[in-house]
Amino acid sequence: MWIPIQINENSTEPLYHQIETQLRSLIVSGQVEEGTLLPSIREFAGNLNCSVITVRRVYQDLENEGLLRTKQGTGTFVARVGKDERDEYRRNVVLEAVEVTVDTGLSVQYPEDDLRDLFLEILKKKYGESHNKGNSK
Amino acid sequence: MTEYLMEQDIAIELTGVKITRRRRKTIGPINLRIPQGHIVALVGPNGSGKSTIINMILQTISPDEGSITWLGETSKTALPLEIRQQIAYVPEHPINEENFMTADEAARFRSHWYPNWDEVRFDQLMSRFEVSRHERLNRLSKGERRKFEIAAAFAAKPKILLLDEPSSGLDPFAWKDMIEQLRCFMEGEDVTVILSSHIVEEVKRLADYIVLVNSGQVLGMAEKDALFANWKEIWVRGELEGLDGLEADILRRDYGPAMTKLIVRESEALELWQHENRIQMVKSRSLELDEILEIWIQGHTPDVLSK
Repeated sequence: MWIPIQINENSTEPLYHQIETQLRSLIVSGQVEEGTLLPSIREFAGNLNCSVITVRRVYQDLENEGLLRTKQGTGTFVARVGKDERDEYRRNVVLEAVEVTVDTGLSVQYPEDDLRDLFLEILKKKYGESHNKGNSK
Repeated sequence: MTEYLMEQDIAIELTGVKITRRRRKTIGPINLRIPQGHIVALVGPNGSGKSTIINMILQTISPDEGSITWLGETSKTALPLEIRQQIAYVPEHPINEENFMTADEAARFRSHWYPNWDEVRFDQLMSRFEVSRHERLNRLSKGERRKFEIAAAFAAKPKILLLDEPSSGLDPFAWKDMIEQLRCFMEGEDVTVILSSHIVEEVKRLADYIVLVNSGQVLGMAEKDALFANWKEIWVRGELEGLDGLEADILRRDYGPAMTKLIVRESEALELWQHENRIQMVKSRSLELDEILEIWIQGHTPDVLSK
């Protein structure tokens, strides 16, 4: 399938939520472009080994959010995504990732100060790298 | 607004259906509503009554009590021809009447019964499955015969397709192909598929709804993904105080030296308990289908049943 959605069967996150989050991310980040025709519900469900009920629900939710639109008899398309939505989305993705990081620290009882140091260290290393790369171009 | 919020159309409805046999187990009373346009898997132990349900839908067995409705039509006597022509069936064991026919002869015979018979589709499937068309059917291998049965059932373009253990006798490649073809078949057409299977992987891949049958009773029908999300196994560490108040959501406990393994139902009370007691969740996984069915048979009904 040409829509890269990865399901983690062992996650306790509900299936529809996993699919919805990933599809939303693909749309809002622009990786799946405006106007793209998505697979039919049955095809998508088949590819993901989930029920059509789940895919229907995902399409429905994203349609209500304005990210998708359905044309009767033709199928479901990606709608236009505004800049505000894109920014808010980026912030949410990062926010979630940071929360996971902190939760991981908590679960192994890693001291707060050490975590902060570690974070700053990685921040410096990674952002420094990309900054340098940017300069060299 | 959309079909997702609408009351679903029902392809087949069994109401209070019961069979009483002197020597054998009583079947029913069964109440079951099969939603149109979906793949519904009947699962359960051997001899639980899955094939009997399929046979009642085909009217090859008549219930002693209760009624069955097909596509909105109820009939105590023989089904009207227009309805019967909308139903195709792949039996667990092929019928003997066609043994001395070749695949092509049997197809011609069946095409008289099914006005929507699609010869092009039959040709395509037969070449795809690489089944000999000029050999007598009883000379084909079990798997080849199965492939013919599947091709012929699809070619009949039914609205209701009944598959009794569809993958029995198929090699893994043919099995995968069959699943793919079945999905293509469902595409864009309002076809309802009812299949019986005890192959966990098949049910997992194909089903939209799962119906559990045990000892002649239907224990319920659940949407597959909701069913999978119903239970999880968690390993926790910490003081397990207050756990007793949550009995309803905890199914099994295994105490280890440092950790406790629990099978739990997803619930707000449980989440709150975890949060309040600072319970550390070390690991979690969702249950496999066979585990879910096992605990369901033991009487722990999932709280996600479809009505």
